[in-house]
Amino acid sequence: MSELNSALQDPPQGGGPSDETTIEQRQTVGLSQGQIVRKRFFHHKGAVVSMVVLTFVVLLAYTSVGLHMFGISIPGWWQWHWNATPPLVNSGVPTMSLIPGPGFGFGPHPFGQDQIGKDIFALVMRGAQQSIMIMVLVGLVGTGLGVLIGALAGFYRGIGDALLMRFTDVIITIPFLVIGAVVGRAVGGFGAPVLGMFLGLFAWTGLARLVRGEFLSLREREFVDAARVSGASDKRIIFKHILPNSVGVIIVSATLLMAGAILAETALSFLNLGVQSPDTSLGVIVSQNQAAFATRPWLFWWPGVFIIVIALTVNFIGDGLRDAFDPRQKKMPSPKALAKALARRARDARASK
Amino acid sequence: MASFVIRRLIAAFFVLLAATFLMYMLVALSGDPLEELRQGNAPNKEQLMDSLSARLNLDVPPYLRYFLWLGGVSQCFVGQCDFGVNVQGLPVLTLLEQAMGSTLQLVTSAQIIAIIVGLIVGITTALRQYSGYDYTITFASFLFFSLPVFWVAVLLKQYIAIGFNNWLADPVIGIPVIIVISVVSGLLWMSFLGGAAKRRLITLGVATASTAVMLTYFELTNWFSTPNVGIVGVVVTAIAAALGITAISVGLANKHAVRGALVTAAVGIALYYPMIYFVFPGMGMPLFLALALGAVVGGGAIGYFFGGRDRWQSARTSAIGAVIALEGFLMYWDAYFNSSRITGRPIATIGSSTPNLGGNFWIQGIDTFTHLLLPTIAIILISFASLTRYTRASMLEVMNQDYIRTARSKGLTQRTVVVRHALRNALIPISTVIALDIGALIGGAVITETVFGWSGMGQLFLGGLHDIDPNPVMAFFVVTGLLAVVFNLVADLLYASLDPRIRVS
Amino acid sequence: MTQLVTQTVPVLDPNDTRPLLQIRDLEVGFKTQYGVVPAVRGVSLTLYAGQTLAIVGESGSGKTTTAQAVINLLAGTGQVTAGQILFEGRDLTALTPKEMENVRGSQIGYVPQDPMSNLNPVWNIGFQVEEAIKANSDLRGKDLRARTIEVLKEAGLSDAQDRLKQFPHQFSGGMRQRVLIGIGLSSRPKLLIADEPTSALDVTVQRQILDHLGTLTRDYGTSVLFITHDLGLAAERAEQLVVMYKGKIVESGPSKEILANPQHPYTQRLVAAAPSLASKRIQAKKHDEAAEIYSAGGTDTALIDRAAIREEQAPTRDLITVEGVSKLYRIRTKGLKYTELLAVNDVSFGIKKGTTSAIVGESGSGKSTVAKLILQLETLTSGRIEFDGRDVAGLTGKELLKFRRRVQPVFQDPYGSLDPQYNVGNTIAEPLLAHKIGTSRERQARVLELLDQVSLPAATQFRYPSELSGGQRQRIAIARALALKPDVLVLDEAVSALDVLVQGQILNLLTELQTELELTYLFITHDLAVVRLVADNVCVMQKGRIVEAASTDDVFDNPQQAYTQELLAAIPGGDFEFGGK
Repeated sequence: MSELNSALQDPPQGGGPSDETTIEQRQTVGLSQGQIVRKRFFHHKGAVVSMVVLTFVVLLAYTSVGLHMFGISIPGWWQWHWNATPPLVNSGVPTMSLIPGPGFGFGPHPFGQDQIGKDIFALVMRGAQQSIMIMVLVGLVGTGLGVLIGALAGFYRGIGDALLMRFTDVIITIPFLVIGAVVGRAVGGFGAPVLGMFLGLFAWTGLARLVRGEFLSLREREFVDAARVSGASDKRIIFKHILPNSVGVIIVSATLLMAGAILAETALSFLNLGVQSPDTSLGVIVSQNQAAFATRPWLFWWPGVFIIVIALTVNFIGDGLRDAFDPRQKKMPSPKALAKALARRARDARASK
Repeated sequence: MASFVIRRLIAAFFVLLAATFLMYMLVALSGDPLEELRQGNAPNKEQLMDSLSARLNLDVPPYLRYFLWLGGVSQCFVGQCDFGVNVQGLPVLTLLEQAMGSTLQLVTSAQIIAIIVGLIVGITTALRQYSGYDYTITFASFLFFSLPVFWVAVLLKQYIAIGFNNWLADPVIGIPVIIVISVVSGLLWMSFLGGAAKRRLITLGVATASTAVMLTYFELTNWFSTPNVGIVGVVVTAIAAALGITAISVGLANKHAVRGALVTAAVGIALYYPMIYFVFPGMGMPLFLALALGAVVGGGAIGYFFGGRDRWQSARTSAIGAVIALEGFLMYWDAYFNSSRITGRPIATIGSSTPNLGGNFWIQGIDTFTHLLLPTIAIILISFASLTRYTRASMLEVMNQDYIRTARSKGLTQRTVVVRHALRNALIPISTVIALDIGALIGGAVITETVFGWSGMGQLFLGGLHDIDPNPVMAFFVVTGLLAVVFNLVADLLYASLDPRIRVS
Repeated sequence: MTQLVTQTVPVLDPNDTRPLLQIRDLEVGFKTQYGVVPAVRGVSLTLYAGQTLAIVGESGSGKTTTAQAVINLLAGTGQVTAGQILFEGRDLTALTPKEMENVRGSQIGYVPQDPMSNLNPVWNIGFQVEEAIKANSDLRGKDLRARTIEVLKEAGLSDAQDRLKQFPHQFSGGMRQRVLIGIGLSSRPKLLIADEPTSALDVTVQRQILDHLGTLTRDYGTSVLFITHDLGLAAERAEQLVVMYKGKIVESGPSKEILANPQHPYTQRLVAAAPSLASKRIQAKKHDEAAEIYSAGGTDTALIDRAAIREEQAPTRDLITVEGVSKLYRIRTKGLKYTELLAVNDVSFGIKKGTTSAIVGESGSGKSTVAKLILQLETLTSGRIEFDGRDVAGLTGKELLKFRRRVQPVFQDPYGSLDPQYNVGNTIAEPLLAHKIGTSRERQARVLELLDQVSLPAATQFRYPSELSGGQRQRIAIARALALKPDVLVLDEAVSALDVLVQGQILNLLTELQTELELTYLFITHDLAVVRLVADNVCVMQKGRIVEAASTDDVFDNPQQAYTQELLAAIPGGDFEFGGK
């Protein structure tokens, strides 16, 4: 009884929150929402690993063969240019060997060479650069437009909403790949940045619907009412209250949009409707080399692996972000960790008696 | 109800109208259709360009040309469709009919399999959240989700088709291979069925052993060279199917149901020899369908007769019917395998059928199957992933609802709670997604078709796009757009019919 | 603790001394990301056949978890980590899932908390009752159907036969709860677990349902394990009482004894703060005695005196006048048709400066709509609202801002009314910022001043809403409302979501602030007991109309309208005598 009394001496000032929340609260005292999200994100192992891998891939792609766009040209540390045709080494077979022993190391052409001697590593790096740039551009343009249109429709409702949503219906009726093919056919020749931007112009529909729904529900929330009666303007309510609270949904779907974008771009380029030769992208490399699969499989494997790695890591990061923003889907500790925690608690209970 | 559908259709009509205009303009403005001719050096260049211009009305500006096209298409309402002609002067309507048939053949079975597998895997992962099985499937679906289909297709061609064909020339399974395959299949069954530690071990043992026995039997009887089911196979499969389906649907505790299922199986087995010798050689499509229907009705009758008011009888029967039909296909495998057009390389990588093959119903059936195999796998891999994830999420959402706890508190069994209460509610959003998926099916298969050289809707679209000829592209788009709109409506109606809270009026 | 319980439990049937349900040292934990969090810590209790035992506690006390552990229906990741649950001598925690399925329904029935979410929306009512009977009996076909109708009739659905094919959404909350009670009792279980069966319902419905439940369980001789947060309700409905706090039992014994003579300090505080218990006392005794009771409960002694003084001093002119106000909603049904809903129908009242007025009513009475109309969050259909002599309808731009500075709301839900992305300091400073008042340093100073006024430490300004308890959040909502130094606070169910002790503290704070800042309050609430504590005047609303309006004392001592009388009678625990030390 005495133990109980001491527990009660500190009266629940302003009501004791339930025990279940206190532990989590202890972990998050004084943290802003952003910090809490970051903390949760770093609990998601898959997402963290993906983050590291993706960062590595991006750095590798952009530093190795250097940056060459908009007339700027910064050389990279890799010895071959993707269009250079050095003599065939070992008849083009990859020189990389990770098995200890003779030949261990990267060699002059780690990913091998194609039939005329182009270095596949340089080619894949350049392809990855272009594919990543298109992915990011589609993500940025698509997300920006989607947020703008969704926010306007959801916040102001009425006729504007109806018109914007019918417009969204029109665009959404056309499969993205189809509209992408038409767009790619028209502007693919102007280079990867233009293609990325134009694809983004048609990639906003899903996000717009989502953001609109989010705005419709958030604007009915009591804290928005509270802000309105404290005299906040529409602008303030949109930018300071509703938008920050929809950031989770927006970021997560922007990530998924980007994962979809890289697959769409490579598929278009594969169909010769995206990035056009002599410029290259991962899809272009697969397309150009699929016939050589039986004789030179590495021409085919490396660009494919890079597509998968990029899409997979982006998807996993999206999943991690979803978990971080939506605490309902918590990850549970492993059975072993649980057993340990239980044992520790039993020991403590014994000690306190 | 009717007014709801009509209102939706009117809205959809205008959306579609706007979308076709947008699409038409985009295609028409994506390049110069005369470019190729202009740069070519054909002697009658001018003449060719003129005739092409006349055929496609190129002298009319695109925004007006759209209305010409619309005028032709709108005659569909009076049964006189005119989708225009393509660059070669062929009527697009004829091309469209062929392409649609071919594409539907490709996507239908793939989508059905993907839905079934996706649902089952999604439900089981939700029920066993955070298990090793769940994590594995989660990773796998993320991987499938990130796969470029054109790349997978090339791999499938290389390993499934070419590799398997090579192996079939001399089909020998080594003992190490048997061991590895058995253990892997045991592990798969174990993680799939789950349960307590003891049950898992039993599953592992049984599955590994039976796989090993089966493979050894195949190896010893040289099954892969002369595949057949045989009376033994039919008996074993029929009884296993009867018990298995009963166990999943109502549980083996229901004696009526078990008896009904076994009797159905016995009838099926008794019909084996008469079918093989008298009916199968003269088989055609109408007879095949009639037999399938007969099997379902017969099974239903048996089930009804044996009581238990059990609706699953018919399912059981068709499973047994399928086993016997499989035998029909396998009987003619030899003939197919050694035919002059196949020459021992059965798995096809290109196209939808072997030209000039000939042969009866069974041989044609085998040919279709071997052509469908690879593209079907590719489509399943891709759509299975998102369906699984979605089913899992919906099931988890529903399993947390209060009414699930209340259902448990009534003393209902776990199976009843999961199927009758959880799944029934989870199906509401899932069915919507499936409907929308189906609506996007034809448009989504463009790449798969291209890679596997399947001359369907994808080819129609890409060909038109290549020639900057809006007519075939628009024909493709009218079909996909209509499908999207119709299935959007179907999704809404499905939702309303599954959820009594929503009443469309 | 076990001892304490067994000592005080009388044995009803001398032939059967074996308890029906005996919980021994039960521990339940929830797995979370951060490890196992204990929710129930060493609970022991005993329930004999034919008895009703109530577990009382605040949210998070572990009362529901204890009940759910009995039939192994713990939510999410909960699991029993230690202890025994003996049902007729059999340990339920050791049963296999299959065996547990046989106990549920047939041996132990369950009536859940929220009737809105506990019936499966896609199956009709008849089916959901039928499957419960089918799972626990051999009845089939016509007999099954007949029994289903019988069960529903027993549960109080007289037209059961015609309603079998209807779906849950076609039933009112009270009707659904009757169905759930019918399901829980359908197989005549020996024990019924009723988890806050009426907390989601209006008081008058609550009374009917509980009366009916009482009759049924008495007739069938069913034991009841009754879970509630309402001490009055528990005392009224159960012979035995168990008080839980933070996962432990702090006191247990016969209800009347505990209420009359609470031993544990927590129970004492709970008894003293329970407004539902106090309301009748005030009615019965004189003001000064009532004041004593409040002081025992920690409520300010001066509260009632102040009310009296205010009443005398109040200026004759009304600060807010509501005249013949109506609000018509057009609800779009499918198609182009509309149905009309008259949410507020010709409502008139006035509020004097410095007083507290309350609008009381059950759900759907239109009380919240009145608040929104006054706050200018909704537009009037007809009538007139004056504030400080000026018509407020159609105010726009600067005028509206000026009006909003003087009339501020505090909303019901302390979780929904604070932006989760804002820390407390920014939340309180927001109105100042929106009105461009002061420099950032001045605003900072004002925030600290406001935090002090609502008795929160200055460091709270750096915290985020998710880190705070419900009571703390409501204090912050009040501080934000006060930031612009308004004349009027509109409190829309501002304390209904809070536990009873916290509710008392907030009411106290509001009273202090009223005298300090000369505020005028408009309370919107469904809880008559709260009205009794704070209001000077009351308007009782029913179906959009004001049915009775008078001073608080008049309404409580001498209710004129049948509806008001019904409301008063339905307050649980009204008949109980209690003593707080």
